[in-house]
Amino acid sequence: MSIRAWWKGIWPPFGAVVLLLVLWQLATSLFQIEDWILPSPARIAQEAEKSYTSLLGHTWATLKLTLSGFGIGAATGLIVAGVLHYIPFLRRALYPLLILSQNIPLIALGPLLIIWFGFGLLSKLIVIVLVCFFPITVAALGGLAGTDRVMMNYMQMIGATRGQIFWKLELPYSLPAVFSGLKIAATYSIMGAIIAEWISSSEGLGYYMLLQQSAFRTDRMFVAIMIVIAFSLIMFSLIVLLEKWCIRWQNDSTAHPKGGIDRV
Amino acid sequence: MSDPIHPAASILVEPEVDASSTPLQANGNPRPFLELRGISKSFAQGKQQLQVMENISLTVHEGEFVSVIGPSGSGKSTLLQMIGGVMLPDQGDIILQNQRINGLQGKAGYMPQQPALLPWRTIEKNVILARETAGMPRQESLALARNWLDKVGLGGFARAYPRTLSGGMQQRVAFLRALLGPQSLLCLDEPFSALDAFTRSEMQAWLLRIWEENRRSVVFITHHIEEALLLSDTIYVLSSRPAHVIQKVPVPFPRPRREELVDTPEFIALRRQLTEALRAELNG
Ligand SMILES: Nc1ncnc2c1ncn2[C@@H]1O[C@H](COP(=O)(O)OP(=O)(O)OP(=O)(O)O)[C@@H](O)[C@H]1O
Ligand SMILES: [Mg+2]
Repeated sequence: MSIRAWWKGIWPPFGAVVLLLVLWQLATSLFQIEDWILPSPARIAQEAEKSYTSLLGHTWATLKLTLSGFGIGAATGLIVAGVLHYIPFLRRALYPLLILSQNIPLIALGPLLIIWFGFGLLSKLIVIVLVCFFPITVAALGGLAGTDRVMMNYMQMIGATRGQIFWKLELPYSLPAVFSGLKIAATYSIMGAIIAEWISSSEGLGYYMLLQQSAFRTDRMFVAIMIVIAFSLIMFSLIVLLEKWCIRWQNDSTAHPKGGIDRV
Repeated sequence: MSDPIHPAASILVEPEVDASSTPLQANGNPRPFLELRGISKSFAQGKQQLQVMENISLTVHEGEFVSVIGPSGSGKSTLLQMIGGVMLPDQGDIILQNQRINGLQGKAGYMPQQPALLPWRTIEKNVILARETAGMPRQESLALARNWLDKVGLGGFARAYPRTLSGGMQQRVAFLRALLGPQSLLCLDEPFSALDAFTRSEMQAWLLRIWEENRRSVVFITHHIEEALLLSDTIYVLSSRPAHVIQKVPVPFPRPRREELVDTPEFIALRRQLTEALRAELNG
């Protein structure tokens, strides 16, 4: 799509964010809100510049934790989905439980995990793996089960094996669903990492936030929050890019003759 | 059920074909290429059994184009599903080249009503799908596919994705996919019924030409009497449920055939005859 069309899609939310920041800035000086309650955007930016070096290490720690958790979680989620899809009996037995488990705040298991696995990396990883595993499994299972009946019948008629049907038909067919699962899991995994760091850590953005909280350094907490948000957006965008590339057969310009940003 | 039908000289009324009777027509071939013997099938519908077909027998000789017409719901698609091994008949045998193939998948090439091209594969890769699943060498298949796409005027679309093609073009691709597959029997299930009338007659002429140049044994399902007459060597007319064969009609027109055939008096007479038979069947 053209730059103009892209800009046309992007400026309203962009403008809204700028407007919000301006209002925030005005409000803090107008009502003389104290820094420890709500620092102004300018103040936060200043602080970001100052504490930049000490934050690098924490950011890196959170990044590593999130990505490894997400990677393991996504891989397990996809494999479990494949296995459950392949063995219908298991699927019938476990699918309802999977759906139910979506309603359990898995984060609440954090303190328990610490009892079982200690304060090390393992408990934190398990929290993240747990939170991203389920959405991916459920999305992938849905995608696999939704395979077009006519195409499926065609493959059977020409004598495709179970494996051929999976690799040539079901898996590609489920990709859009898998990607929507991955997008959810990406946001979850960052949230999971921060919370895991609250519960047990000596590094990372979650730990940093707790530290600053006890010192009432609200500005620094905001800096950490901004990093988390940026991080989350970047991860989401990368997945969207990957999705566009994987599902490029439906993504060329003729699909959206008017351009504009995609509806997710 | 068996209503009185005009027994015109050229028409064989064969309500129940004896399995052991070797057909005499069709190029003097001793054994049929495909033979359905006494096929019956019913489905469970709630607590009841829905008898869809009863003792259907039909034969297809090597290189013969056989059409099956019949009322909606008479089990025509089910018949193809059984030839493809996806469904099992309750009774009866499906014999392909002297081998009983009940429940064996992949013995026939298939073209469904919707083209069912895989949207993430380019046209050429869709065309080779049946060869690929049969484990045939890929480069060879791709070369063959490109060659054929060129031949049918779709060469420019070899690397395009299916959704950029019109419905008629997609059906051509689906037919090529079936034709280039390793199976020598082709099953086509109302392949043109989703197309508009104009595209449809264009496709009939196209299929007629390609098939006459590359004879295969074909089972062709249709609702369209004219289409069946134009394309087929033999037409089987099924009754409504539970379906049985009410007529087996040899189509005598010489090949190669041209579309103009539909305006000849012989064609019109035969068409009228089939129309009557089907109408009588529908009014039961
Ligand atoms: N898997 C199935 N389970 C239950 N009933 C089925 C099944 N498949 C087909 N039927 C029933 O069998 C009957 C015949 O279906 P079929 O699709 O073979 O008919 P058809 O002759 O192809 O009809 P049409 O001309 O409309 O395509 C229908 O009444 C249908 O409801
Ligand atoms: Mg049908």
